[in-house]
Amino acid sequence: MTKMFPKFAASLAVCTALVSASVAADVIKIGVQAPITGQYASEGQSIDNGVRLIVDQFNAKGGILGKKIEVVSCDDQGTAQQAAICAKKLVNEGVKAVIGSYTSGATEAAQTTYFRAGILQTSDGTSDSLITHKYWTFFRNSFPNSAEAEYTAKYFVDGKKYKKIVVLSDYSSYSTDLADSVVKALKAKNGNIIYEGKIKSGTQNFTAALTKIKSMDPDVIYYSGYYTDGGLLRAQQIQLGIKADFVGGDSNDNPDFMKLAGGSAEGTFLINVPTPDILPYDIAKQFLVDYKAKYNMMPASIWSLMNIDGLRAVLNGMETTKSEDTKVIAAAMHKLKDFPGITGPVTFREDGERLGGGYMTYEVQADKSYKIVYK
Amino acid sequence: MMTKTSMIALVLLIFMGFFPMFVDSAWLAVGTTFLVFSVVAFSQDIILGRAGVFHMGHALFFGLGAYTTAILNVQFGWPILATWAPSVLIPMVCAFLLAGPIIHLKGDYLLVATIGFNIIFIQILENDVFGLTGGPNGIFGIDIVRLFGIQFASQTYMYYMAFILLGITLFIMRNLDKSKFGRAMFYINKDEIAAQSMGISIRYYKLYAFILGAGIAGAAGSMFSVQYSAVSPEAFNVTQSIMFFTIVLVGGSASLPGVLIGTFIMFVLPEVFREFATARYLVFGLAMILTMILRPRGIWPVKFGNIPSFLKKDVK
Amino acid sequence: MDIFLQQIVNGLTIGSLYALVALGYTMVYGVMRLINFAHGDLVALSAFVGLTVYTQIFGEGITSLVAVIAVFMFTAAIIAVVGVLLERLAYRPLRTAPRLSAVVSALGAGLVIQNAVMLIWGPNMKIFPSEIFPSTIWEIGGIVVTFTQVMILGISAMLMVTLFFFINRTKMGTAIRAVAIDQDAAKLMGINVNRIIMVIFIIGSALGAVAGLFIGAYYRGITFDMGWMYGLNAFVAAIMGGIGNIPGAMLGGLLLGLFNAMITGYISSQWAETFTFILLIVILVFRPTGILGETVAEKV
Repeated sequence: MTKMFPKFAASLAVCTALVSASVAADVIKIGVQAPITGQYASEGQSIDNGVRLIVDQFNAKGGILGKKIEVVSCDDQGTAQQAAICAKKLVNEGVKAVIGSYTSGATEAAQTTYFRAGILQTSDGTSDSLITHKYWTFFRNSFPNSAEAEYTAKYFVDGKKYKKIVVLSDYSSYSTDLADSVVKALKAKNGNIIYEGKIKSGTQNFTAALTKIKSMDPDVIYYSGYYTDGGLLRAQQIQLGIKADFVGGDSNDNPDFMKLAGGSAEGTFLINVPTPDILPYDIAKQFLVDYKAKYNMMPASIWSLMNIDGLRAVLNGMETTKSEDTKVIAAAMHKLKDFPGITGPVTFREDGERLGGGYMTYEVQADKSYKIVYK
Repeated sequence: MMTKTSMIALVLLIFMGFFPMFVDSAWLAVGTTFLVFSVVAFSQDIILGRAGVFHMGHALFFGLGAYTTAILNVQFGWPILATWAPSVLIPMVCAFLLAGPIIHLKGDYLLVATIGFNIIFIQILENDVFGLTGGPNGIFGIDIVRLFGIQFASQTYMYYMAFILLGITLFIMRNLDKSKFGRAMFYINKDEIAAQSMGISIRYYKLYAFILGAGIAGAAGSMFSVQYSAVSPEAFNVTQSIMFFTIVLVGGSASLPGVLIGTFIMFVLPEVFREFATARYLVFGLAMILTMILRPRGIWPVKFGNIPSFLKKDVK
Repeated sequence: MDIFLQQIVNGLTIGSLYALVALGYTMVYGVMRLINFAHGDLVALSAFVGLTVYTQIFGEGITSLVAVIAVFMFTAAIIAVVGVLLERLAYRPLRTAPRLSAVVSALGAGLVIQNAVMLIWGPNMKIFPSEIFPSTIWEIGGIVVTFTQVMILGISAMLMVTLFFFINRTKMGTAIRAVAIDQDAAKLMGINVNRIIMVIFIIGSALGAVAGLFIGAYYRGITFDMGWMYGLNAFVAAIMGGIGNIPGAMLGGLLLGLFNAMITGYISSQWAETFTFILLIVILVFRPTGILGETVAEKV
């Protein structure tokens, strides 16, 4: 072994030389880290499509800072481990900024790697924990769970005046974080939580847990997880004859929720920010027209548009500072105030939080359409 | 004296030693992963290939090593170097406690019991026991190796650390074959009942292999957690265990080149064929069936010496 | 008390699905000493085939029981053919090969089926129409029983009783038992072993197919990778009952379903799998042959 060490040292030196030589490039690379396959594939593909659309529009106008933009995508499959692998890969590719990911878990797993490499990251992940690290590289382009939780608590206690509240979540980072925030916000308003529980996403059979809940005779069952389980929970709730309201957090707002719940979908309440088709801004309408023209479908949800706003804020930062230095761009982004976004004005706080909100509650009608019942 | 196997090992070590000179850092990361996973595959081979223990829960020990480093570093602030010893020892102790009561079980039952351990392990991680494991998202922000103020952060350093670990593993395996353990295994594989009646304690040697394999896998896990600076439960689930199990059998149990070929096919080819992402596991499955039909003992089986008994044809 | 009885109903429903799938594992193991790791994926395949057959051939909105029975029988027939092909292509060439080679082949076959389902039907969840069975609900003294649950319990019980009599009372059943005990002796008695194995795969796959369709009708959402979870639980059930033992698989399935419901209902849903596998390992340590399995002296 000892004989080999000089060779190791030699190869190390060569490698360092190679790396430093390859830095000067004539394109600016933007990374996409999104669940392009797997459970949340439709959301991931929508993010990737949206980023490519915006980048094409920029390149058609001659790129940015006189250079073409190149998109490098990495599929994190919505899992934390794959996200960590993607982060390494994108850092090695030499991207300046990363858009994504969709889930909070995958975003958080990659955060440290981007921070260490000094690469900007912007994600729609809503977990409050995402900004606790205070990384200067991170910008949340959606609104945090705590904002949704405060709205939810207000709706439950002041609006609906529920007396017995059940809060359910799955095990994901996003869902547990939202449930914790909701519980905290409810307690602050003296809401009476009679049960807090967790279900395992994907197990399909929730009758045992629901039977236990039935014996407590709640007024409302609140679920903070994703639509794939929320729809089944609602269907099984009705099957078991539990006469409580069902309120789903933002990730239940998906057409598949209606299909899974079937006839039981009617009367469900969903809490979310406005859906893409009712965004009032011109820039949003233009984006949706362009997206439809290029991909012949609509973006999967509001979340991909949030990510697009993150991308636009990054590119805006590059343009205004005329710099490729991520530290300079980040400083400019932190100073951004009411930058016109697709999903509304964009303003970032010093810790990377996006300020704002604007939640509403929809009641699902018999024909699966939404009716706004509380703002 | 140079045997064919040590020749192959030497050529491989030289090739892998110079590999970083020819590739960019993205490929270097793939190379590092290959080295780490081949260490795990060799440790699986000690248990499955050499000791003949039907073990389908190896990701448990790999994960235990990774989580030991992650927890000690992130939650308790230990430097990475200080976590190396516990990340080997804890998997070994767990292997002893878990395998002790079940090591006497017959083949297929052992498969299921080890799968069971793996599933329980994942559930413990997901349920965030004592607030240490970080739940389903795992633990992020694992530090890099630091020594005397030097930061070993670059991919090249990671690569050579994994390279040295593989070297140590190969060294252990070489000595293992020549040791009392190797001879005992040789006779157990030749004729278990005869070996037993000669006073060779099958239980003892199987347990020995199990604990040794767990320790090596733990070391690889520690390396893995530093490489990706994050660990999460799904990297150590039963699917991963099945991968390690398959690597050994598709490559060729108890065969050094076989295990390396297996690792290459299962972990490097998917990187190369990323564009065909959607269809690649279908092709994998077909390849597994075809390999077993055409070469039931693996792509590069052992030709002589320590052939595991389960690889011999049933004489009917 | 209501809650307890309700949990029993829940547990028996999922338990009979486990039992149907477990029968496939146990019959193949009994005859071939092979863990058919692809069996769970056949169950998932069945749900997808059934959904396509239902919507393509009969169209959505049909609630006629005759049509539903036709869908079940047609799907079960398709899955039985896939099962036979599986045995022909992936297992038969390895019948005299080392034991673990066949295990790897089975794992490979599982991957093939699972990914074929993903390529054909896509990676996203597919959803069964809600009107396959009437949405009738009976409430008996506080316990809720749905029409679908009654169908699952009734049809599984019927299939299991039929299978029991087929194995114990018919000539073919006797031949199956003979092959399970000693293939060579059975061959000498003029039994066509290949044919028996084919029959085993037809029955096992068809029972798994019925379970897959019920999973679709009961839970509605189906994913390409769901076979693994049902397969693993059913396999655990088969071992608990005593692998290779047909009434054991039935009993194991029902007990596992009840056990799961009780753990989830009274202790914690977070630790359900842990309890399942602790139970399994305890059974293996103290009674490796399962509840109904016989102890067989090892041949030297």
